[in-house]
Amino acid sequence: MTDNTNTSQPSGAVQTTGHAWDGDLQEYNNPLPRWWLWSFYGTVVFSIFYWFVYPSWPVGDTWIKGFGTVEYTTVDKATGKEQEKEFRWNTRALLLEELGNAANDPQRKEMLATVQAADYEQIAKDPKMMEFVRSVGKGLFGDNCAACHGGGGQGVVGLYPNLTDDDWLWGGGIDKIHETLVQGRNGFMPAFGQALKPEQLDDVAEYVLTLSDEAPQSEASERGKAIFQGQVGGCYACHGADAKGLPVLGAANLTDKIWTIANVPAQKTLQDKKAVVKNFVAKGVNNNRVMPAWQDRLSPTDIKLLAVYVYQLGGAQ
Amino acid sequence: MALTSALPAEQYNYDIVRKFTIMAMVWAVIGMSVGVYIACELAWPFLNFDIPALTFGRLRPVHTTLVIFGFGGSALFATSYYIVQRTCQARLAFPWLAEFTFWGWTGGVTLGVLSYMAGFSQSREYAEFEWPLDLAIAVVWVSYIVVYVETIRRRSQPHIYVANWFFMAFLLAVALLHIFNNLAVPISLTKSYSLFAGVQDAMTQWWYGHNAVGFFLTAAFLGMMYYFVPKQAGRPVYSYRLSIIHFWALIFLYMWAGGHHLHWTALPDWVSTLSAAFSVLLLMPSWGGMINGIMTLSGAWDKLRSDPIMLFLITSLSFYGMSTFEGPLMSLKSVNALSHYTDWTIGHVHSGALGWVALVSFGSFYHLIPRLYDTRMYSDTLIYVHFWLATIGIVLYITSMWVAGIGQGLMLRSFDDYGNLAYTFIETVEFMHTPYVWRALGGAFFVAGVLVMVYNIYMTVQAGRREQAALEAKLAAKLAKA
Repeated sequence: MTDNTNTSQPSGAVQTTGHAWDGDLQEYNNPLPRWWLWSFYGTVVFSIFYWFVYPSWPVGDTWIKGFGTVEYTTVDKATGKEQEKEFRWNTRALLLEELGNAANDPQRKEMLATVQAADYEQIAKDPKMMEFVRSVGKGLFGDNCAACHGGGGQGVVGLYPNLTDDDWLWGGGIDKIHETLVQGRNGFMPAFGQALKPEQLDDVAEYVLTLSDEAPQSEASERGKAIFQGQVGGCYACHGADAKGLPVLGAANLTDKIWTIANVPAQKTLQDKKAVVKNFVAKGVNNNRVMPAWQDRLSPTDIKLLAVYVYQLGGAQ
Repeated sequence: MALTSALPAEQYNYDIVRKFTIMAMVWAVIGMSVGVYIACELAWPFLNFDIPALTFGRLRPVHTTLVIFGFGGSALFATSYYIVQRTCQARLAFPWLAEFTFWGWTGGVTLGVLSYMAGFSQSREYAEFEWPLDLAIAVVWVSYIVVYVETIRRRSQPHIYVANWFFMAFLLAVALLHIFNNLAVPISLTKSYSLFAGVQDAMTQWWYGHNAVGFFLTAAFLGMMYYFVPKQAGRPVYSYRLSIIHFWALIFLYMWAGGHHLHWTALPDWVSTLSAAFSVLLLMPSWGGMINGIMTLSGAWDKLRSDPIMLFLITSLSFYGMSTFEGPLMSLKSVNALSHYTDWTIGHVHSGALGWVALVSFGSFYHLIPRLYDTRMYSDTLIYVHFWLATIGIVLYITSMWVAGIGQGLMLRSFDDYGNLAYTFIETVEFMHTPYVWRALGGAFFVAGVLVMVYNIYMTVQAGRREQAALEAKLAAKLAKA
């Protein structure tokens, strides 16, 4: 087949195999194109090379290990000393190498030590440490928090609190944020749908709206105030007589015009605003405002960095 | 019906070919439209409307099953039944069994996609059918083999044409793949557990998955190519020798390559290396088919300017060449570290599925349909329109997936100055929104082309029927006179 060197010659010059199917179906007997054949040999050579670099053919109960090597640093558990080790190429060693490289990044190591030693105030004041917090925090927040609170911490009204505003159900000091991260939170408000009559729920809703100037004072709101502040509703017990909330219980401030559950700003008419507040008072909050605890999932350092990261999102006090 | 009355006079059994051809187009419209819909869901997730049956997870196997087995499968049944009869100069054996393969296959695909939407799935990619359907499909497949092989045995030609080698390899391999990958222990009518566990299960699945590509979507469509390209070109196949060499190389090498779908997983490193090497070895045998097809046109290149059907066939071979180059590249461990789990893979699959499988089928159908209905295609202009809609669609699809896949791959492995990851996962998802929109648009172009084809076929079939009726009226008049 190598006698015919000119593969681009008109195929008319080549004989067909002499067979014919379905009338006119025939086959030329052109030789294999040379470039094709040599490229095929090329891939064979490449494969053999590939087999010798990486672990390949099984032999008995082991396999050819390949010439490729991976180096990484291990810490001897007995002596605590670091030592360089070299392994035949394998994916496990490769992973350890990459993890080791990341963990041993000198800049990262140094900053981590600095941040671990510093208190919150020192970190907040130091631009370099804050830069590091943002570098680590972005990944931690994105992988652990953003699913609920959103990529920028903006939250979802009615579901997940906004972390960039000034309203903090459980307190917005950095220590409180840290506490929230460590132990999680479980928001609770009893349902008043049974305890109060529908008219009473209407009145309470009207009163709650006057607290943030969403509704004008009226007879109804006065009746609602009596329920809120008295023994019938008893709302003051958690939200306070001034309705400014109680962070220890996670009770919301009802006077700051920030709505975390009942989406009042999204409603156009007073009627609709009242309806969303009423619905929420009637049903209460039960087991659907849970912030998980992170102490078993993240390291103390990660939680510390995350607390500072949330703090610098803008809303913390 | 005029056509059926003319049937006994036909030298070959075209009725079964017509049935599968029409069904292939029905599945193409539905399956590809579902594809566009789920592409839109990825760009605009609200489109699942919180209805379980419409979620991406359920519609995705509906899409893949309808286009691979519905459209691709029916196209292969149609063309293989046509080719085997004409190249063997023998009528199809066991017509009732061939009829059974049609109803069995069509029914199996229909029940399958309905069961996916109802939430029943084996969770094996491209083999989601639960065990009762797997058994039914196995019976249909064996019937297909019996019909095909018996027709070849009854041939009045001394030699077996190359297209038939490819079809027979496909028939045998798909039977093996289907049966071994679906070995499972049923616990109820709708639920079963695989016989294999852990990484062996994964390896079996991808031995199946990759050879489904190798034998269903490659070997069989090469069989289609080996008949329709020389027929349409009116020229002999370029090289008999090349067809032998690349056939056996392809058949031997494909079986080893499945492991490259499992790079960087629990699969042992040595298996991963072997599958990568065999994937690289596959490059030239794959190109052998492309060369043999494209070079068949050597000396008659002007046909590309004057014959839209040739344009379909040759473009399909070009996409075949491109995706069989991309495949070995992506199977290298180092490239795969970037490409794996990204949309680059999705783009690669579609350059093969849309560019090769669908275009070669469309080209073959444009050749086939006028012959089945004894007339001419209604409009050559519409074939050109279809060609450009399809080509634009494919280019939009694969380039947007390169951007999405390579972009995401690079984002996920970039670090900042402190050695921390520069991007979170969700940022890569946000980044992919724009390419996803372009991909959906590309898919829409492709479906638009298919709709043009359906219209063209409909008008052709109608014309064929009118001509047939006129002919019979004339004949009847003559007979009455006599």
